[in-house]
Amino acid sequence: MSNILSIQSITKFYGPIRALHEVSFDVPPGSVFGVLGPNGSGKTTLLGIIMDVLRASSGTYSWFGEPPSERQRQKIGTLLETPNFYHYLSGEKNLQIAAAIKGRGRDDIGRVLEVVKLTERKDSRFSTYSLGMKQRLAIASCLLGDPSVLVFDEPTNGLDPVGIAYTRELIRDLAKEGKTIVLASHLLDEVEKVCTHVAILQKGQLLMAGDVNVVLTNEDFVELGAQDLERLRTTLAGLRGVRQLKDLNGYIQLVFEKDAPMDLGEINKYCFDQGVVLNHLQLRKKSLESKFMELTN
Amino acid sequence: MLSALKIEWMKVKNYRTFWILLGITLISIPGINYMLYNIMDNSFPKGKNGQTPFLGSPFSFPDVWNTVPWNASILFILPALLIITLTTNEFTFKTHRQNVIDGWSRQRFISVKLIEILLISILCTLVVLLTVLGFGFIANKPGPGISIVHDSRMVFFYFVEMVSYSMIALLISILIRRSGLAIGVFFIYMLAEQIVVGFFGKGHHMKWVNYLPEEVTDMLLPQPYAKALFQRNATDWEHHIPVYLAISALYLILYCLITSRRFVKVDL
Repeated sequence: MSNILSIQSITKFYGPIRALHEVSFDVPPGSVFGVLGPNGSGKTTLLGIIMDVLRASSGTYSWFGEPPSERQRQKIGTLLETPNFYHYLSGEKNLQIAAAIKGRGRDDIGRVLEVVKLTERKDSRFSTYSLGMKQRLAIASCLLGDPSVLVFDEPTNGLDPVGIAYTRELIRDLAKEGKTIVLASHLLDEVEKVCTHVAILQKGQLLMAGDVNVVLTNEDFVELGAQDLERLRTTLAGLRGVRQLKDLNGYIQLVFEKDAPMDLGEINKYCFDQGVVLNHLQLRKKSLESKFMELTN
Repeated sequence: MLSALKIEWMKVKNYRTFWILLGITLISIPGINYMLYNIMDNSFPKGKNGQTPFLGSPFSFPDVWNTVPWNASILFILPALLIITLTTNEFTFKTHRQNVIDGWSRQRFISVKLIEILLISILCTLVVLLTVLGFGFIANKPGPGISIVHDSRMVFFYFVEMVSYSMIALLISILIRRSGLAIGVFFIYMLAEQIVVGFFGKGHHMKWVNYLPEEVTDMLLPQPYAKALFQRNATDWEHHIPVYLAISALYLILYCLITSRRFVKVDL
C-alpha cells in the first residue's frame, strides 16, 4: 500500500525568513507519525502547507499517492493550531457546518460530541466555551465521519491534566483502530508515548525521520556499578564494540557501537571473568527527549 | 454550488448581526425615500398641476423609476458594511482556514462570497422595485397617458451599481482582512473618488473621471431632482449608457479576478 502522505523537498519562505528547507518524508499507513521540534521549528507551517492553507515556496506533497485536492481533505480529520469555529453558533451547529463541508451527514454529530464529552453543552454558543472545551470540540470535528487519517497540531493545548491524559488515550485508541495519525507537538513525552514514527525539525530543517525504533536504534545504553569504578572502567574499555564510557552519578554509562552485541548476561560474565563484581547492571533506553536535545543543541 | 450556498446559509441564519444589518439595509430603502418624499411634500409649495416648481414630480411615474433607486444608492455604505462584516468575520474567527481544511477549495469559498453578493443585491433591488411601485401607485397615482414602465431600466442600473459597490467592499475585505480597517478604507475610498470627481470633473471638465470605478456606475443613475436645472445633457447621457454599462462590466470582471486570485494564491 502506498504512503498516506508523501512530502518532497518542501521549502517555505515568509519574506526573507526561511521557515522550511527541503523537508521530505513519508507517512506510512497505520502509523502514528510525530512531527517534533521546538517552537518556531516549522511544524505548524508544514501542516498548514499539507492542508492547503499555506502555499509552499517550492516542493510538492501527495495524499494517498495522488496530487492534493479538496476531496482528499474531506477524508482527513484535522486540528490545526487553534480551534476555528463561528463564535456566535453553538457547538452542535458548528459541527453541522463542518460535517456539511466534509460532505457527511449529521448523524455522526451525536457520537463525536459524546466521545469528547460535550453533549451537555452542545447547544451553548462556542464563545461561552472554555479553552479546553473549544479544543475538545475541535477534536470532535476531526472525528466526524470516522476518517482513516487524522492530523493533530498540538492537540493537548489548553487541556487540563485530565484532558491531556484523555486525549492521549484517545489517540492511542485511534491508532489501535489502524488509523494513520500525524501528530505535531513540542511535548516530547506526549509523542514518545504514542508515536511509531517521528520526524524531527529544527529551524525548518529536517534533522531525522523514520520509524521511532530506527531513529532511536542503538541509543540504548547500559548502566554499570562496582565497588572499584576505576577498575570497572579499565575492564569495560577492553570489551568488544564499546563506543563510549561515561561517568554518571556513581555509575558508568556504556554505549556500544552500532550492531554491537549488548547482552547483559555476557557483559556480567565478562566483568566477572576479569575479576570485577558488578553491584549494578541495567539496560536503559535513551529517551526521545535526550535524543531530541542532542540533535537540536 | 447549491450545497455550498446551503452551508453559507447555515453560517448566517443564526447570526444576529447579519439580520440587523440586512434589516437596516432593506428598511433604509423605503425609509430614505419616504423621508425625502415627506420633505418635498411638506417643504416646497406646489404649483397648479400638483408639481413642485423646479423639482418636478420625482415620486410619480415615470420619474419615480429614477428617484427611488438614486435615493437608495445614497446608502450603499449599509450593504457594504454587511459584506465587510460577513467576510472579515471569517478572517477574525479563522473559519476561512477551517472551511478549506475541512474540504472546500479556496475557489469555492470565494465563489460563495461572490454569489452571496449577487443574492443580497437581488434582494435590495427587489425592495427598490417594490418601493418604486409603492410610491408610483399609492403615493402618487399615475395620471392618464403616463407610461408606467418607461425608465424601469433604472432598477437594473441600481442593481449594477449595488453589485459594483458590494464587490469593492468584498475586495477591500479580502485585501485588508480586519473589519474596522476595511470599513474605514471603503469609506475613505468612496470619499476620495468623489473628491477627485468633483475636482477634475466639475473643476476641469475632464471626462475620464466619469470612468472611475464608482463614478462609472453612479453615471448610470442621474440625479433625479430639478432635472431642468442640474441634470446633465439627457441625450448625451442616453448615448453613453452602453459605454457606462460596458466599463462597469469590465470593472466587475476585474474585481472578481483580483478577489479570487488573491484568495486562491496567498497564505490564509
